[in-house]
Amino acid sequence: MGNLRTGHLVEGAIWLSLSLFLYAYSFDFDNDIEIYKFGATAWPRTIILLMAIAAIGQLYHHWKYGDEVSGNIINAANDDGSEEAAHEAHHESLSWYLSTFALLVIPFAYMRVPDWIAGWLEADGSTLHVLRMVIAVILIGLFMTQMKRNMVGAILALPLFFAVMLEDIGFYSLAPFFIVGVMFLFGETRPKPMAAIMGLIYGLLLLLFVKILFVGLPIGNIRPFYDFGSWVVTVLQ
Amino acid sequence: MEVFNNFLTGTITLFSDPVGILIFFGGVIGGMLFGAIPGVSMLTLAAILLPFTAHLSPEHGIMLFSVIYCTGVYGGAITAILFNIPGAPENAPTAFDGYPMTQKGQAGKAVGAAVMCSAIGGVVSCIIMMIATAPIADWAISAFGPPEIFALVFFGLAVASSVGAKTFWKGWLSILIGLMVAVVGLDPVGGIARYDFEMPYMLAGIHFIPTILGFFAVSEIFVQAEKKAIGSYKAPKMGVEFPTLKELLAHKVAVVRSIFIGFFCGILPGIGATLAAFMGYNEAVRWSKTPEEFGKGKLEGVISSETANNAATGAAMIPLLALGLPGGALTAMMVGVFQMHDMEPGPLVFMNSADLVWVVFAAMFFANLSIIFVGYLETKTIINLLRIPFQFLAPMILLLATVGAYAVRGLTIDVVVMFLAGIVGFFLRRSGYSVAGIVLGLILGKIGEQTFAQAMQMLHFEWSGYFDRPIALGLLLAGFATLGGSIYGSFFKKAKPPSANPAT
Repeated sequence: MGNLRTGHLVEGAIWLSLSLFLYAYSFDFDNDIEIYKFGATAWPRTIILLMAIAAIGQLYHHWKYGDEVSGNIINAANDDGSEEAAHEAHHESLSWYLSTFALLVIPFAYMRVPDWIAGWLEADGSTLHVLRMVIAVILIGLFMTQMKRNMVGAILALPLFFAVMLEDIGFYSLAPFFIVGVMFLFGETRPKPMAAIMGLIYGLLLLLFVKILFVGLPIGNIRPFYDFGSWVVTVLQ
Repeated sequence: MEVFNNFLTGTITLFSDPVGILIFFGGVIGGMLFGAIPGVSMLTLAAILLPFTAHLSPEHGIMLFSVIYCTGVYGGAITAILFNIPGAPENAPTAFDGYPMTQKGQAGKAVGAAVMCSAIGGVVSCIIMMIATAPIADWAISAFGPPEIFALVFFGLAVASSVGAKTFWKGWLSILIGLMVAVVGLDPVGGIARYDFEMPYMLAGIHFIPTILGFFAVSEIFVQAEKKAIGSYKAPKMGVEFPTLKELLAHKVAVVRSIFIGFFCGILPGIGATLAAFMGYNEAVRWSKTPEEFGKGKLEGVISSETANNAATGAAMIPLLALGLPGGALTAMMVGVFQMHDMEPGPLVFMNSADLVWVVFAAMFFANLSIIFVGYLETKTIINLLRIPFQFLAPMILLLATVGAYAVRGLTIDVVVMFLAGIVGFFLRRSGYSVAGIVLGLILGKIGEQTFAQAMQMLHFEWSGYFDRPIALGLLLAGFATLGGSIYGSFFKKAKPPSANPAT
């Protein structure tokens, strides 16, 4: 096994599986192009082949040198401390990855579950909106119970959760909660500074993008968030 | 004389336009601030601003990015000196001696030297850029066809694979991820949908703006979150004490040497200022009579690194403007600015948009010059701004990125893609991969595939056609030699600990 660890094998397996998957999927568009004899697949398949070779080379490096840096490259450009931080924070264990994965699944659940249930119930548009809100509340509760166990995982998942809810809730209603959430996850717990900074950031963004630059941000499509977003835009513009 | 007249015209155009002046000073101050604030960099600012450049004229958009490039490279030196956190890869060697100087209470002197030398390196590089770019572009029009451009892309990617990641293989994999992301969407010859997974959104390809925002701005916030979790984020303490003219004159040889090194490294596509800074520093160590003092707080280390990396900024614009090929992450974003205005950087820009080119050149010249004045004036302000707690900065950056990603096409899915790219970037960075490599692969991938297809059609699908094109053949051979050398090195050269300091 040389210096190989389980993590190295998992990393290698991920790259090789990805290469295999991408190669298999390339048959989906393996069509001839009259003026170009290499077709649409030659370029991606070359990249996939190189990816598989590099994954094997990487495994060899791990086997021979473990986690050490190659002797022939300019690495310090990459030395941003992220690896050391992950190591010192003990965020390299399987349990941390599983807990992070569980948090990351929550936004995807919001994307898919309401539609599945609505399809099953044969619900109409307004019922779907209610369903989305109910599921959002359940998932937010689930997120809040999980986040204290894994703050970094929660910081990864929160922006994604925010992004998938933008379409329904809208930027104007969601942004204040997002600002407070990020501050809290970064360790800020004092209510007054949180409120002041939230007001400052929210106000600055609205002033710059809505009032001055007329950037159209999502207003949401579920009431009363839609009404609030429309009202903000009307007042500012 | 023609160069001087063009420069004067560019200067008059720049400073007779109030919007241009505003954007110029905004770029100067913004580049310095974002370069200096730990946890963000000039790349973060550039990524956030990228979508909004669609609302600016092409002159203003490119000028803004070139100014940010010049001043951001200097700004990154401040975090390298004060925190041992290089604001950008090209500031990494500055930290080798800059941070020990801070520990010895000489932070002000180190910052002052960085101010002076960044300005000197940048200004000289700009002058050479102004003289050299147009002749190179003229030559490129006749000498560079699709085979040469493809060969140069290949060479650039081959060199870039050995910069920025933990191992050559990880560097290469980073670039391949970028190339693979660029494949998604319609193929450039037959318009066949690839990897669209039957989602209409994927047919247009993954837009580079959300991807760049995710990999740079968002993943940076996530990395800082992890650092905060272990309490490694600390506000600095320093006074301001600039080096005397006598001290700077004592290092004139180092400055001149670093200008030469910086310029010639900067002109290479794929690496630019990063290699320049490392080579500038390494040569300073090699030529020094007291090499053992490097890495322990020697002023010459800061001077060599900062002169070289700013000297590379002007040089990096030459392949971008003369050949249409970016040399690094920020110049890759500049390609994005060109594309958003339906323009392609390259030799034809000199014929079709000469005004744009000279306004950009003038802006870069004055941006480098302004490092001296604004750098001196702003240093104390920057030091105070460094004390902004990151928990207040993080939501602002994430929301700016959100607005940036959404504003491109008005699709919330772009925001989702951006945060997913941020998560992927976070995991890749902590595993030793290079996000700059991914972005370079993403931008060069489209150019590479298109020029490869055109080249093969031109050469009637005969690989031997490359033997009749000496430039293309030379670049391909150089690329294969670089890859071969890196592969040989990865098998037979001894590995080193991650934090190895070349000076020690």
